[in-house]
Amino acid sequence: MISVKHVSKIYKSHVRQNNFLKDIFFRTFKEYGAVKDISFEISQSELIGFIGPNGAGKTSTLKMLAGILYPSSGSLSVLGFTPFDKKREFLKQIAFIMGQRNQLIWDLPAKDSFELQRAVYEIPHKEYIKTLANLLSILDCAPLADKPVKILSLGERMKMELIAGLLHRPKLVFLDEPTIGLDIFSQEAIRTFIKEYQHTYKATVILTSHYLEDVKKLAKRLIIIHKGTIVYDGSLKNITEQYSTEKSIKITLDEKVSEKKINLIGKPLSYIFPQVIYSVKRSEIPEKIKIISSLLPFSDLTVEDASIEEVIKTFFEENNKLKVKN
Amino acid sequence: MTNITMQHNLKIFLLFAKNALRVTTQGRLGIIIFTLGKIVRFTFMFFLLFFIFSKTRVLKGYTFQEAALFYMIFNLIDTISQILFREVYRFRTLVASGSLDTILLKPYHPFLRILIGGVDVMDVILLIPYTLIAFYFALQGHIIFIHFVSFFVLFLNAIWLATSFHIIVLALGIITTEVDHTILIYRDMTSLGRFPMAIYKEPIRSIFTFIIPIGVMTSFPPQALLGTLSLSGLLFSFVISSILFYGAMSLWNFALKRYQSWGG
Repeated sequence: MISVKHVSKIYKSHVRQNNFLKDIFFRTFKEYGAVKDISFEISQSELIGFIGPNGAGKTSTLKMLAGILYPSSGSLSVLGFTPFDKKREFLKQIAFIMGQRNQLIWDLPAKDSFELQRAVYEIPHKEYIKTLANLLSILDCAPLADKPVKILSLGERMKMELIAGLLHRPKLVFLDEPTIGLDIFSQEAIRTFIKEYQHTYKATVILTSHYLEDVKKLAKRLIIIHKGTIVYDGSLKNITEQYSTEKSIKITLDEKVSEKKINLIGKPLSYIFPQVIYSVKRSEIPEKIKIISSLLPFSDLTVEDASIEEVIKTFFEENNKLKVKN
Repeated sequence: MTNITMQHNLKIFLLFAKNALRVTTQGRLGIIIFTLGKIVRFTFMFFLLFFIFSKTRVLKGYTFQEAALFYMIFNLIDTISQILFREVYRFRTLVASGSLDTILLKPYHPFLRILIGGVDVMDVILLIPYTLIAFYFALQGHIIFIHFVSFFVLFLNAIWLATSFHIIVLALGIITTEVDHTILIYRDMTSLGRFPMAIYKEPIRSIFTFIIPIGVMTSFPPQALLGTLSLSGLLFSFVISSILFYGAMSLWNFALKRYQSWGG
């Protein structure tokens, strides 16, 4: 469905020379590679997390895949089309929803923007009514469609953006930071919505987000991009197993225990009665549980994986160490 | 472009126009001030014309009625351009904020939105008196059918030229993120076409005929109506329009390849 081969994107930016006249008449430019020689393939109905630090090249890659940006080199094929050609048949099958961009008509109710989308994508009336009702119901926001967009909150507007972007039931959806700036309830609602949409319409979804929770809850496959280069392309499970060398053991105590006794098991990450949290190496977990059972009076014990943030942080630290060694 | 695509584009164009009207009519005081401003500007220019002809009987060989016809036809071309291309004036915000991205992803030509997507219906009202006054002055002279046909064709050609000029402004907007000054330069240059090109000295006249064809846009249609435009002039106007349109589209395609999608 998507094939990316040796794609690069070079941007040119003006370099200040601290000389007013030189800056005007003898301007110098610096080229920097936002994306450097990346290659990957994506199959139909995959939900992919595309992550990386700020300025890593995530959005540039997505914009080349959608045909907004012209690649400096390499070849791209999306749904059998070259994206930059912007063929109508191609554009009718994709959607690019950006958390930081607004495509709704600001002064008018969102339903006017939906009507416009219907005309633009030539959605049959019956299908439009059905899809709109379905999307409004999944996001539980039917009354919002009649209010002018300018009076909606950020979270409410994002829901309307998602509906406007998905009314034509695209086969391929690019989601760029869809939960940015939203409260935890809206984030959760949007995550559930994306999952349901992908499941119902068997769409391919490429998601970028700084909230790794989005990626953890939605994506099975992860592509990590750093300084314009793909540094990881594989399953979320693999990276978690590989880079999550420690797990946390959470214990709910029955009664207060002295710190001395707590420290006998190992130094805890935190101890605020009734909860104690230990970070333990995977290989040592059975042994630690045995000691805990014999020493501490507890009512509950859970073993949890390290957070996705911790995993990615460890991944980048390990990567940097490798680079320094080489 | 197939018939179905044309119908689809027309439908979207009308929807954009409807939405633009709904947005415009939200601020009623703004509409009144805007329309008053236009009427005052038009009246002042007409007074200037009266003033000139109170001092002289002819202006470079043109009578008052003929000069007034030039002025009215200029106003018609200029007003239609403003009705159609109002969205160009708002293009900078789209580029600087990166919102142009969402337009480039739609399955229609981006010009449908960024060039003619904000039809200014308020200006349509002004077209009625402008057309009536133009007719009045046209009927003062001896106009034959063939002159009227040539005029009509050249009038359409003038709109085509205005389209090319606006596409150039859009392309420069992408390359430089600057639209406001470019459109002001365009408007200042076109305002030279309020009067017959014959009143300007060389090389200004040649520059505004051959290099920046403002004269072809504003002076050739009334000349055709008065029967003072030669056949070679008529053919030349189509050649220059084709060249300008080709240049504008090439610049637009070049700009799209350089688009960096700012504000992401």
